[in-house]
Amino acid sequence: MPKNSNHHSEARAGWLFSMPWILGFLALFVWPFTASVWWSFCQYDLINSPEWVGWENYSRLTREAREQQGFGQALTNTLYYSLLSVPLSVVMGILLAVLLSARLRGQAIYRTLIFLPSVIPVVAASVLWLWLLDPQSGLVNYLLSWIGIPPQNWLNQARSAFSLETIGVLQNYTTGEPLKLLGSKDALILMTLWGVGNFVVIYLAAISDIPKSLYEAAEIDGASPGRKLLHVTLPMLSPVIFFNLVMGLIRSVQTFTSVYVLSEGTGAPGGSLRLISLELFLSAFSDLEMGYASAMALLLFIGLTLATTILFRTSRYWVHYRMAA
Amino acid sequence: MNQRGLKTICLYLTAWFMAALFSLPLLMMISGSLKSAEQLTRDPYSLLPAEWNWSNFPEALSSMPFFVYLSNTLLLCFGCVIGTTLSCALAAYGLSRVSWPGRNWMFGLVIATMLLPWHITMIPRFVLLSELGLYNSLWAIVLPTFLGEAFFIFLLRQFFMTIPEQLLDAGRIDGLSHWGLFWKIVIPLSKPALATVALFQFVTTWNDFGGPLLYLNDPKKFPLAYGLERFVSSYGDQTHLLLAAATLFTIPMIIIFFLAQKTFIQGISTTGIKG
Repeated sequence: MPKNSNHHSEARAGWLFSMPWILGFLALFVWPFTASVWWSFCQYDLINSPEWVGWENYSRLTREAREQQGFGQALTNTLYYSLLSVPLSVVMGILLAVLLSARLRGQAIYRTLIFLPSVIPVVAASVLWLWLLDPQSGLVNYLLSWIGIPPQNWLNQARSAFSLETIGVLQNYTTGEPLKLLGSKDALILMTLWGVGNFVVIYLAAISDIPKSLYEAAEIDGASPGRKLLHVTLPMLSPVIFFNLVMGLIRSVQTFTSVYVLSEGTGAPGGSLRLISLELFLSAFSDLEMGYASAMALLLFIGLTLATTILFRTSRYWVHYRMAA
Repeated sequence: MNQRGLKTICLYLTAWFMAALFSLPLLMMISGSLKSAEQLTRDPYSLLPAEWNWSNFPEALSSMPFFVYLSNTLLLCFGCVIGTTLSCALAAYGLSRVSWPGRNWMFGLVIATMLLPWHITMIPRFVLLSELGLYNSLWAIVLPTFLGEAFFIFLLRQFFMTIPEQLLDAGRIDGLSHWGLFWKIVIPLSKPALATVALFQFVTTWNDFGGPLLYLNDPKKFPLAYGLERFVSSYGDQTHLLLAAATLFTIPMIIIFFLAQKTFIQGISTTGIKG
């Protein structure tokens, strides 16, 4: 067979095998992306055809961001949730993985029990936490009372612990009255941390890949367990920490199902659970403002790309790849 | 007691404490689903119900069209698992065992789609699938899986690349085309990887809430995840029934996890995706 026709048939086979994905790429990514960009400059309610309005949707978004309404509130909510839940997941994931990699009897049992919450469907987990976080009869407040913490309002309180309003509450605080600092977003973070098992599994795999000789060398140098963690485990884990930071960020910004179920689709109380995903969904499918929602999606995409790029840029200062060493 | 023994005891205590803390909510869900409404208000915290109130389950089942929801969920899972495994295996073969000029940048595009948030494609996809007449049809959720999913293409491609070239050469000598190599050699050798993809897709579809929320509006077509959320809106005060329904919805996932624990853990630790 002449070589030329062989090349030709190889190329044809390549295109044919990839055809389902190529179709999907065009129909589910290229066209939707293009349409989103276009509609973000339009007014569009699904029924009438899109009508060009220029930068109007974007100026509305910037106005709302300034006035902390609608999109602005959703942006603040999302930043609060992501900036707390992602680092907390990373720290807790590493600590649990270090604990679970210690040679203990029953290790498999601890690992399974800590991972198990991650296989619970989000809708079921949200239903469960709605009950656990009940201010009167919930388990969480009951457990907190054991260690002397007053009952918190959780999902009934719009104000979250690390917000400016909290300073006011602390200033007006008189001894004896119960301090109710934790609100709906803190509840969401708590629920997210319960599902940290996914990250733990990734860290555990990475820890078992660290060569034992590194620890032996550290021991010969007289390193304490704390120093071994700081100077052997953490640097060796840094590529995985980086991966989990990026994935955790992307995942947290896309959080939707839990806030929808926890607030029955409203983002209540006081819009405090309106993360960007929910805000965007409601703008599109209950207000039928497709253009405005598309503009929001595009800003979200740009923001996420920027954040990921910044993470990548900083990674060269703290991520150690073994190959380079 | 020496210092080493003390350290070991501390480690054990912490491990037990954390394991207990993480499993407590789950245990509460199961025990709560077995308490009567009256017992749940009187004594919500005990882990063992004073009397086992099994009747919560039939009551929860009859308060919603449970078996309609279940059969919709199973239909969706069945369709999506077939769609994903087929389309992703095909694409992964084309992107690993066929040498053609566009291959590498095509694979780059596959990876790029993983980083695109769903928000930006959601509205046009909705318009597209509605135009195709798929609004309020299970096909709106199943059809896209026949067009590939980047994570799974990536996973299968990595696996296909480990198959020795000699095996494929032997097939070529026997006169097999790429189509024949794919079905007779690559697919039979890749059963573990295909099982991983099928498992993850099953779990994803079982748990999926956004898709049904967006595309389905006829309660006769709701899957369990969506049905359960609707149940919360109408039976919000009947905690014992809610917990029973949530438990029923969760148990299959726990069983699957224990049956396929190794696949789960390996799948997550090699690709970092959530089940």
